[in-house]
Amino acid sequence: MLKDQLKALEQEVQAALDAATDDVALEGIRLRFLGRSGEITNVRKSIGTLAPAERPEAGKAINTAAAALEARIEAARHGLALKQLHERLAERIDVTFPALPARMGSLHPIRRALEDACGYLQRLGFAVVLGNEVETERYNFDALNIPADHPAREGLDSFYLRPGVLLRTHTSPMQVRTMEAVPPPLAVVVPGKAYRRDAIDARHSPMFHQIEGLLVAPGIHLGHLKGTLTGLLRELFGASQAVRFRPSFFPFTEPSAEVDTTCPGCGGSGCKTCGGSGWIEVGGAGMVHPDVLRNAGYDPTAVQGWAFGIGIDRIVMVRHDVDDIRVLFENDPRVLATLR
Amino acid sequence: MKLPLAWLRDYVKCDLDAASVATRFASLGFPVEAVEQRPLLSGIVVGRLTDVSKHAAADRLQVCAVDVGTERALTIVTAAANVQAGDVVPVATIGAQLVGLRIAPRTMRGIASQGMLVSAGEIGLEPTWFEDGILQLERDLLVGTDFVAAFGLGEAVLDVEVTANRVDAMSVLGLARELAAALGTAVHEPSLAIERSVPPPTSPDCVRLESPDCKRFVAQRIDDVHVGTAPFWMRLRLALAGQRPIDSVVDVSNFVMLEGAQPLHFYDADRIAGGTLVVRDARAGERLRTIDGEERALDERFLVIADSREPQCIAGLRGAAASEVSTRTRALLIEAATFAGPRVRRMSVALGVRTEASSRHEKGLPLALSTWGAARAAHLLERGGASVHAPVAFGAETQPAEAIAFPAVRVPALLGREVSRAEAAHALQALGFGVVTVDDRIEATPPPWRGDVRIAEDVVEEIARIIGYDRIPPVLPPLFPAQVSSDAYRRERRVAHALAALGYVEAVTFALQSGAVAEGYRRTGIALPNEIVEIRNPLSDEQRYLRFSLVPGLLAHAAAYAGDDPLRTFELGHVFAGPEPAETVVVTWLAALPHSVEPAWRDDGFLMFKGESCALLRTLTGRDPEAVAGALPEGHPGKTAALLIDGTAVATVGAVDPRLLGAYEIDRRVYVGALNLADLPAYHLARYIAPSKYPAVERDLALVVAPDVSAADIEQAVRLGADGAISGVRVFDEYRGPQVAEGKKSLAVRVVLQRFDGTLTDAEADAYVGAILASLHERCGAILRE
Repeated sequence: MLKDQLKALEQEVQAALDAATDDVALEGIRLRFLGRSGEITNVRKSIGTLAPAERPEAGKAINTAAAALEARIEAARHGLALKQLHERLAERIDVTFPALPARMGSLHPIRRALEDACGYLQRLGFAVVLGNEVETERYNFDALNIPADHPAREGLDSFYLRPGVLLRTHTSPMQVRTMEAVPPPLAVVVPGKAYRRDAIDARHSPMFHQIEGLLVAPGIHLGHLKGTLTGLLRELFGASQAVRFRPSFFPFTEPSAEVDTTCPGCGGSGCKTCGGSGWIEVGGAGMVHPDVLRNAGYDPTAVQGWAFGIGIDRIVMVRHDVDDIRVLFENDPRVLATLR
Repeated sequence: MKLPLAWLRDYVKCDLDAASVATRFASLGFPVEAVEQRPLLSGIVVGRLTDVSKHAAADRLQVCAVDVGTERALTIVTAAANVQAGDVVPVATIGAQLVGLRIAPRTMRGIASQGMLVSAGEIGLEPTWFEDGILQLERDLLVGTDFVAAFGLGEAVLDVEVTANRVDAMSVLGLARELAAALGTAVHEPSLAIERSVPPPTSPDCVRLESPDCKRFVAQRIDDVHVGTAPFWMRLRLALAGQRPIDSVVDVSNFVMLEGAQPLHFYDADRIAGGTLVVRDARAGERLRTIDGEERALDERFLVIADSREPQCIAGLRGAAASEVSTRTRALLIEAATFAGPRVRRMSVALGVRTEASSRHEKGLPLALSTWGAARAAHLLERGGASVHAPVAFGAETQPAEAIAFPAVRVPALLGREVSRAEAAHALQALGFGVVTVDDRIEATPPPWRGDVRIAEDVVEEIARIIGYDRIPPVLPPLFPAQVSSDAYRRERRVAHALAALGYVEAVTFALQSGAVAEGYRRTGIALPNEIVEIRNPLSDEQRYLRFSLVPGLLAHAAAYAGDDPLRTFELGHVFAGPEPAETVVVTWLAALPHSVEPAWRDDGFLMFKGESCALLRTLTGRDPEAVAGALPEGHPGKTAALLIDGTAVATVGAVDPRLLGAYEIDRRVYVGALNLADLPAYHLARYIAPSKYPAVERDLALVVAPDVSAADIEQAVRLGADGAISGVRVFDEYRGPQVAEGKKSLAVRVVLQRFDGTLTDAEADAYVGAILASLHERCGAILRE
């Protein structure tokens, strides 16, 4: 009698489980049969109607049946979980579907090149200093040994705000400004804008960017300059860069050099970027002229040093294969998005 | 400067090809900008016309018998009119290669022509610079000579860049000296020999110097001048160097200048009124008709060489037509002068004329070159048949150069490479220096043509040039602890990186602006800084002013790149304000968003922009900013906030004034933020605060307040109402409309209650909420919304 009842319950549970498709249904089944007022409880209540001698046996049978039901439900739950897992693993999407655009800011390629350069020199122990773009003739010319009658000072090449005050034509004024501020040894790098009266075209811009390096200490020589610039250009263009010095003339350095580096466009074999020479010109450099040291209050018999000035815009153009300097100042979002 | 290799080889013997010569020059500090190859020519020989007769069957043709050194003379038919028996001319034999033409046997009106007489164009020379017809060579040339090889017609022309300090090398001879030094070979110096100096010497009264800007003037009288055509070798060299041949006298002056850098001026000695040339400042009102036919008005700025009547030459620039050498000229006065370079340059600028002569004068010629120049011209003119009088020099005497003495160790100390004294001496001697080594010192005496070598470092550069810069080994310098702060740079870097991380794209716009930018502000009623800084000598009106703000550049950018996608951009740069001018480093960031429909009292775009701006300040300062109403010149008066760190305004953010958007024709919502980098407080490293271990209780309160009660007022009143138990408070919604009483607004605020010392019971939480509501009522007049 009880046995039949329990057997029927078991069949009923199995039927319900077979029909169940989710966790909610399973939980409903558990409550219906095993809950506080569920079917098993009802059966358990009927024990009272049995003879006392039969009661322990009946209780045991009910407990066994309840455990069996519990196990069936648990098994069903497990089976369902497994089925759901299989379904999820069977999901397939088109991974080539276009992504939702991420919001992505960027640094201007000029800043990135300046930071790469400054970062390398900082690791060598250089400090990075910044200067004003409006300068006096004293720092822009006089202190740099550029004579009073030099053509740059006649207003053809430089932008004047009033007599004696102009937009700096190079980052070099910071040489003397820093030397005046601190005694040697001194190692500084100056990134920044400079201005010259060049009409804008594919290769010239009245506003451009430079990085100036200055190292003054006892025993500093041209070999250190070449080593530093070689390291710097390898940082900017890659480990196989070579650096070539060619004699040149600047009033504020002696000896002076033009600095060339292997054309990254062709690796030195000659291409359009380098005009076939295999080299690109990146700037000027040399041993700081004794007059400049003297103008800054340094003793040229006690210390010597070097300075270099590198045009960053050209480096950016070569790095990114840009053939027109104006592109750098147009800020076309489509272009900047490709250069970040 | 144009350097014909054929000319260069007159002074230095070498078998290097053009490319190798170019490489050598580059490593000496004279980069070669271009190598102009000459056309391929062959089969041309020197020939003498032994007979010239009219072609029987053609009026315009002549039949020439041409001796080219072979057993039988060639018969050549020519259409040229400028030939006669006895002429020595270039002859293209059968098979010869000319420009675009190969010579083949040809029969002309019945006569077989065995070649062709050659004119300038056929060998790649500018035809208008030479004879109209067949080139005329010197009679003393050996017939049969290979014309192309003898004159170097196949040799390339290099375009050599010469630095401003090396006026001596703006000459074929100067560059030849450099190449010879590099190759370790001798220079064949051009001859200055005079066969016979005729008496009397040039008159000491022929020149008077009245200006210190004429440092030296070597004058030399030449008689028996015959003005004709210069020899072909000279005309060829001039033409290859880009100088048009004129006549046998003018060509000598140009030849000497291109050869040795000293410009000369020749006066027709018979046309100098009063017989004396005075070098003086021009007088206002004086005029001079230059040989280019232009009438020039002069004033005191000009240094002139005048006779007793009027100026005959603008020093170093242009001569007057009046005393110009002409075919009637029989006597010359040579001027080989040294003028003050800056004076010549200023005159050149004032006149708008730059000549080969002025480009040399303006760099300051060594005094010694004037003596050389006159002597070389005299030599060439005498070779041309003239009679030469001894020269006379006025002004400064040429002084022997002083020795530059320095310790030999300066050489390796500057170069970073071992250089022996012998090596150093050898390099200097190759460049013409006198060298004495005494103990451990080097005494170097520059050659007379080198005015640029003055100090030991100059001499070391000379040594390095010859040894080769490429032989300096690259090494890294020793490290020193930095003495200078990099803080300003670090700050700029942090700002730029923080904005990029927030999705802003950096722009770099021009710092030089048109006056229209400030005018646009004025017209729309936007305040400007007190004074816009103007450039005195702008390139154009488009670039006349320095930027006073970064906002216009970014607005122009937003206008140029309109579209549906949100635009976020920033720029970091210097801005300028008069009159000092004051220069400030600022960063400005801008977001342009599509329009959205919102009531007048709400601007979600502003809230988003403010959120990004607060995130920026948090990154830069380590502290959360507080926003209060603020002002920005370009900001909307009711939608601009100042962001405060510890009570001090650091940045300003706002919606852009619609008048400005109108001026820039921007049809979007645009927000702009700005901060002055100097105002940015130092970054505070954030300190660790342990979160409460006890659960938080969230309560949302809907409040009704007057419209002028701000969210900040509410948040402050909440905090004050339950001091010590608030872990968060945030106004999250605002509503105005029919659900709320007229003249009121509803604000929803979420309060998070949490204590550090224990769990809040419901009763405690209720008590705090009661206190908060009391505070809100008292401070803001807020009541709970029903």
